[in-house]
Amino acid sequence: MSLSPHVSHAASRIAQAVVVVLLAYTATFLIINVLPGDPISNMLLDPDNGFTPEEIAPIIAYYGLDRPVPEQLWTALSRFVVGDLGISLRSNLPVSGLVLDALPSTLTLAASALAVSLLLAFLIAYASQNLPPRLGQGLIRAIPSVSLAIPSFIVGIFLIQVFAFQFGLFRITSPDSFAATLFAAIALGLPVSAQIAEVLITNLDHEARQDYFAVARSRGLSRAALFGRHQLRPSSLPVVTMVALAVGELLGGSLITEAIFGRKGIGSLVQGAASTQDFPVLLAVVSLAAVVFVAVNLLADLIYPLLDPRLRRRQAARIPAPDAETLV
Amino acid sequence: MHIDRLAVSRAATEILRVEDLSVAYGRQTVVRQAGFTLEKGKALALIGESGSGKSTIAKAVLGLLGRGEAKVTGRIRFKGEDLLALPERKFRALRGRAIGFVPQDPQNALNPVRTIGSQAHEAARLLDLPDGEAERRAILDTFALIGLADPERVYRSYPHQMSGGMLQRVLIGLAVLPRPDLIVADEPTSALDVTIQKRILDLLMELRGALDLSLLFITHDLALAAERTDEVVVLKDGAVQEIGASGQVFRAPASDYARRLQADVPALNPDRFRAVARRGQEARGGGGMGIRVEAVSKSFHADGRSLRAVDEVSFSVAAGRTHALVGESGSGKTTLVRLLLGLETPDAGRLTVDGQAVHGLSRDALRGLRRNLQLVYQNPFTSLDPTWKVRNLIREPLDQYRLGDRAEREARVLDTLRSVGLSEELLERRPAKLSGGQRQRVAIARALVLRPRVLVLDEPTSALDVTVQAGILQVLSELQAAHGLTYLFISHDLSVVRQIADTVTVLRHGRVVEQGAVEQVFERPAQAYTRALIDSIPRPRRAESAPAPARDHSYQS
Repeated sequence: MSLSPHVSHAASRIAQAVVVVLLAYTATFLIINVLPGDPISNMLLDPDNGFTPEEIAPIIAYYGLDRPVPEQLWTALSRFVVGDLGISLRSNLPVSGLVLDALPSTLTLAASALAVSLLLAFLIAYASQNLPPRLGQGLIRAIPSVSLAIPSFIVGIFLIQVFAFQFGLFRITSPDSFAATLFAAIALGLPVSAQIAEVLITNLDHEARQDYFAVARSRGLSRAALFGRHQLRPSSLPVVTMVALAVGELLGGSLITEAIFGRKGIGSLVQGAASTQDFPVLLAVVSLAAVVFVAVNLLADLIYPLLDPRLRRRQAARIPAPDAETLV
Repeated sequence: MHIDRLAVSRAATEILRVEDLSVAYGRQTVVRQAGFTLEKGKALALIGESGSGKSTIAKAVLGLLGRGEAKVTGRIRFKGEDLLALPERKFRALRGRAIGFVPQDPQNALNPVRTIGSQAHEAARLLDLPDGEAERRAILDTFALIGLADPERVYRSYPHQMSGGMLQRVLIGLAVLPRPDLIVADEPTSALDVTIQKRILDLLMELRGALDLSLLFITHDLALAAERTDEVVVLKDGAVQEIGASGQVFRAPASDYARRLQADVPALNPDRFRAVARRGQEARGGGGMGIRVEAVSKSFHADGRSLRAVDEVSFSVAAGRTHALVGESGSGKTTLVRLLLGLETPDAGRLTVDGQAVHGLSRDALRGLRRNLQLVYQNPFTSLDPTWKVRNLIREPLDQYRLGDRAEREARVLDTLRSVGLSEELLERRPAKLSGGQRQRVAIARALVLRPRVLVLDEPTSALDVTVQAGILQVLSELQAAHGLTYLFISHDLSVVRQIADTVTVLRHGRVVEQGAVEQVFERPAQAYTRALIDSIPRPRRAESAPAPARDHSYQS
């Protein structure tokens, strides 16, 4: 009870986040178990391999696949909690190692895509407010909805065709070069930037209609100061929400973008694991996605009160209520 | 060196001269060739109802009209310079520094995500002080000057941590901080409680004298304008109806419109609806109790604190009479209404409506009670579902209570619509196509269609203009006379209460301060708080000599 309200709020949110991740793991585990067969039988019962079911049984027992599903789940969960992701059925290597090898490439791509999308969204939104109508403000405002309509893989193919093949700005044979990463990030970030820009423009328009915007203007503020302090700052809250949601999209989209740009990342790992029913790897990747998504949303929740003082209500209550008698 | 003497003497006395000003949004002209002059050090009021163009003129003077959306012609000379001819960059240098602005609604006039101090620095920067610390001192000095008790705390606070009255003080402080010559105040007190209104206006007038400010004051309140300004410009539909010294226009208005405004100011005509109400009451005689509230208390708990919203309140209303609950925000009047409607349960005490206890009823009995007890909300702009037609809005209660067949319901809807003074061609309209007064009449019709015995009117005219308000009060008086309705009238506007109510309860912090017959409470208030409330009714200079004609016989709503 002696904890400050802010800390105890954060603690309860973190506890919720942990529960969500465990539920996501459980759900994935159960879905995989509903699929027909088990990976060992699928691999070894191929007539070409010449194994009989009697010979396979001990192997299945070794991996614990003959146990009832709840017991298997319990074993898997208790390992997951301490960070043991198991052994890949295909390569016999620890799954954690496989994931850690693939992760940097994907994280680099997703983070660059987020940076690109924020930058583009900000530029579009700034132009939507400050460009004179005569200089194509309407055109700027149309960009988000148009670019939303174009799927990112088309953008990717287009970018490769034009900038790799025509202009030779990057080589697809070295997909991890800076230029190749940048163009992959543009392909991935463009639809996300459109979503963020739409939300941002709507909110900037809303702020510009508020009384306090007019009052601030009557104080002789410059366009730039008005934009930064009285439009952008109050509009930043929904952008944080949008970014938190966009992270899921960036993770999903990166699998496709990696395939198009020939990058070795989580995408290729998943692809391989899915085609060979390498359950531990699939489980690990899905859980990882859940952890990232939950963590980003948790972060967004904790950022809100920093951006908007009205959301720090428990703390506000500690300031004594103004006494109308003496102060007004 | 040749100097034009006339121009010099003019420049010395004139601060603002508006000539032939017209403003149009698209095809809609909202200001038509308006012109007036404000002399240095004087206060001038632009008065008119919503849609009269008064706020648009204020915005034009401040250069806040969007250049793309509004078409502005004419001249606005500020110290001889035509503001309309200035490019935005040069105009910006005048904003704050030369022309300050005090807005209407203080709750939304400061950026909610930044501290008051940081917004005050925006104004202090215009003083060209050497550093931030000097600016800070100037800000704290100004906060002290405008009567804020703890300037340091205000400086650190966010807007949502302060009351409306304090925020309006801050906004006035921010407007006067850069020492402008002219202040434009757009209905600076209409969103505030009455006693605070008076203090804010006193502050504005004090600062005007101390800082040698000229004041352009926008208001819909003729009495307020007459009390606080030297000259008034009466506007209607964007055109100037009359210009003159405030006392003159107030005492002897020359234009028809100003005369009508004067007749509709409640403070000037306290007995306007008295005759109608008396007639109804005499025709019926006494008839039991409409509402009885006995020693009712109610507390709320939040964040570990407890608030006594209503504290041992008792009053009763005779059937067919009007009782007013008067109080400022936080006085407990809204909680009392919710208790009376059975939306809250009292901690102690008893409420009866038309002889029936409100609490401890079964669901069906409460439903039956509510048929007899209807509510008219404060804001007709939000209380009607915008997607419904007037016909359905009024008929819904009949459908809910399954009264009569289809034809009977239709007939009752039409009947009720006419009784509130609306014609049947409005039946197919939706609220967006109605004026504020028409909307409130629809809301009243909706409440009346069940033929209740008791009507709770929660500030039914506070969102409306005075002439529209007068029409609504007229309709309410006639309906009461015709059907013997009991009204519980919630208001913060004492002059309206004086006009419409028979008895009154003054509430403060959940307790009864004073109650009794309206004439007695108003003429011989026993408590200091009641006196303060009554004193806050605007009283123009020499108002005693003003003729107060009872014009209700000639009034057509």
